[in-house]
Amino acid sequence: MKLAELAAPRQDYSYGFLDAFAKRELRRRMLKAIAIPGYQVTYASRELPIARGWGTGGLQVTLSLAGPDDVLKVIDQGADDSVNAANLRRFIARMTGVATTTDACRATIIQSRHRVPEERLRERQALVLQVPDPEPLRHVEPNMSRAREMHADADYALMWLSLYEQLVRFKQFIGGASYPVMVHQRYLMSPSPIPRWDTPTLHQAPHLTLLSAGREKRLYAVPPYTDVYPIEFADVHFRVESQADRVCANTGAAHKYMDEVPQPDGTSLFRLSDTGYAEKLIKRLRGETVKIGPTYYDSNGEFYKPGYLKSRDGQDIEL
Amino acid sequence: MAYVAARGGEQATRQATLLYHALNGPITAATVRAIEQSLPYLVDRVMGEGSLYAPELTALAIAQAGGDLYEAVLLLRAYRSTQPRLAYAETIAQEQMLTTRRISAAFKDIPGGQMLGPTLDYSHRLLRLDVLDDRGATGATDAAAQSHNSRETGTDAELVQADEPAPATYPPVAAWHRLNGLLDPLPERDPVDPAELPDVTRDPISFPAPRAHRLQSLARADTGGVLSLGYASMRGYGLIHPTVNEVRLGYADVNLRHPITGVVFSAGRVRVSQAEVVNTFAEGQAKLALGFTATLGWNEVKTIAGSMLDLEMDSPDAHPAHTEEFVLYHTEPVEASGFCIHYKLPHYVTFSSSLEALRRVLDEQKAEASEQQGAPS
Repeated sequence: MKLAELAAPRQDYSYGFLDAFAKRELRRRMLKAIAIPGYQVTYASRELPIARGWGTGGLQVTLSLAGPDDVLKVIDQGADDSVNAANLRRFIARMTGVATTTDACRATIIQSRHRVPEERLRERQALVLQVPDPEPLRHVEPNMSRAREMHADADYALMWLSLYEQLVRFKQFIGGASYPVMVHQRYLMSPSPIPRWDTPTLHQAPHLTLLSAGREKRLYAVPPYTDVYPIEFADVHFRVESQADRVCANTGAAHKYMDEVPQPDGTSLFRLSDTGYAEKLIKRLRGETVKIGPTYYDSNGEFYKPGYLKSRDGQDIEL
Repeated sequence: MAYVAARGGEQATRQATLLYHALNGPITAATVRAIEQSLPYLVDRVMGEGSLYAPELTALAIAQAGGDLYEAVLLLRAYRSTQPRLAYAETIAQEQMLTTRRISAAFKDIPGGQMLGPTLDYSHRLLRLDVLDDRGATGATDAAAQSHNSRETGTDAELVQADEPAPATYPPVAAWHRLNGLLDPLPERDPVDPAELPDVTRDPISFPAPRAHRLQSLARADTGGVLSLGYASMRGYGLIHPTVNEVRLGYADVNLRHPITGVVFSAGRVRVSQAEVVNTFAEGQAKLALGFTATLGWNEVKTIAGSMLDLEMDSPDAHPAHTEEFVLYHTEPVEASGFCIHYKLPHYVTFSSSLEALRRVLDEQKAEASEQQGAPS
């Protein structure tokens, strides 16, 4: 009997790249985050072979979640074939052996930068959002220690004040992506920089959303079936980005989130931002059989939970 | 090549990497060995920021990154993430270090003597153009060439062997302060078990940070970042001019306790550097305050600037750029460089979201303006 025979065969890297201790820590932090919806849980955040700020927070979560039976989709700005998405997908697949897909309905884990797919996610799916800045109070309080105290006291007065200031100066809310939301009536949360179009998809969602900021070393979660409301006033409402009059040049789809593609003559073309969804629409146009899931917004731009959005295409809805 | 290709993003990224390697040429084991042997200070700097003492791997990282130091540090840190922590070394006191250089600016002479050791501090910074056509010395053994070179720089010709070897260890300069009641005495024995120390690579940092986290963060910090913030402090925004009590370069044994026999043995030596600065009348009181930074590898600039910042961070009215949170967050090389280059990633979804809000306001302003123009006065 030789020592070499007793030892496990040499492997240059652990399953999922991170060592078992790092994965255990992350899983514990994720459980805590799920138990306290919207609360930012700190974690050690190991360095990965991808530059910091390029999705390492999401990557650590995905690497600790993924098992050999998982099916992975990675998107950046909605696109599966964006440079960084392709690179992350290749790395995760190489380190975990997961199958990969561009179909949001088939995936068990979707790692995303800045978008939620158009097709509704369902139970037992995890959406992992990469987060550059986890702190919704950053604009009103740059000091992290003081911001933590404000969260502890649920003291969000400065946020309401800044909303009000927007009304005074511009007569409307001017928040772009990453519009702050209240989670489970307790914590103010930055929904990573997803566009406002995607913000309502987090509310009472059947899927689990994990948000992770590697550089800032914080992760937080929206567990399934949790209340998520964008901050707004009783008489001035949150609005999603208007997609009215935008038709996808490739698929003819409307009332979905569009990428604006500037043309040399000064005009713009529009294309679906969600490339996985666009791929399926094109297949259907070609006459192939393809399973397309129900979407968050229907072909008239109505959100699937009636009454949740109190405005549409920039206009308040008469309720 | 499309930035976000409609198709083929995957192939494009692979080709971009291949093009990089094609332009920069192959890396061989010989290149890596040459870097390790001829660029020790560069290797030290990257090891310190990478917080992994591994000269060979560091030389490989530098070669692989084509000399881009932030990339090299990231390679090392990423490799470090794959390694479990197997054991904790015993604490090493300053007087146990095998010291090659130890100087103090606080006193003309110090117990044990000012030990200059190897340094370029006192050399003329003249480019040795003779090296280019192979006339100059390429190694310290070539005495003739050394002397040729020294005629130009006006220094002694040869490295002379001392009659007696210098002592291997030296007492800390601060021991004298303690004897004189200027500093509190050190505790009798090490107050903490190394395994119980807060570890910044295993716990996230929060503020106020435990002292261990602060010193660990400074040890891993970006040399340029620490210098820049430290320079601002010493130049006029902080303590202005504390005194360097001690700068020390040397080798520290990595002493491990055998898990079965309990015998302490040295598993090897690492190059370390440390600096200590003192300030009188700290916080308006008649007392001495110490600032300290140590790092893996020999890196004097970083340890001196770091020790100034350590001292500065304790002051109750530190400049906003010298508070603990500001310094430690913003001198983290992997995070700072990574975030900076992330701006190269596409941002068109978030940008379109803000653009939509901007257009909405502009449209409304336009509508209002035309309304006012059209309104009867």
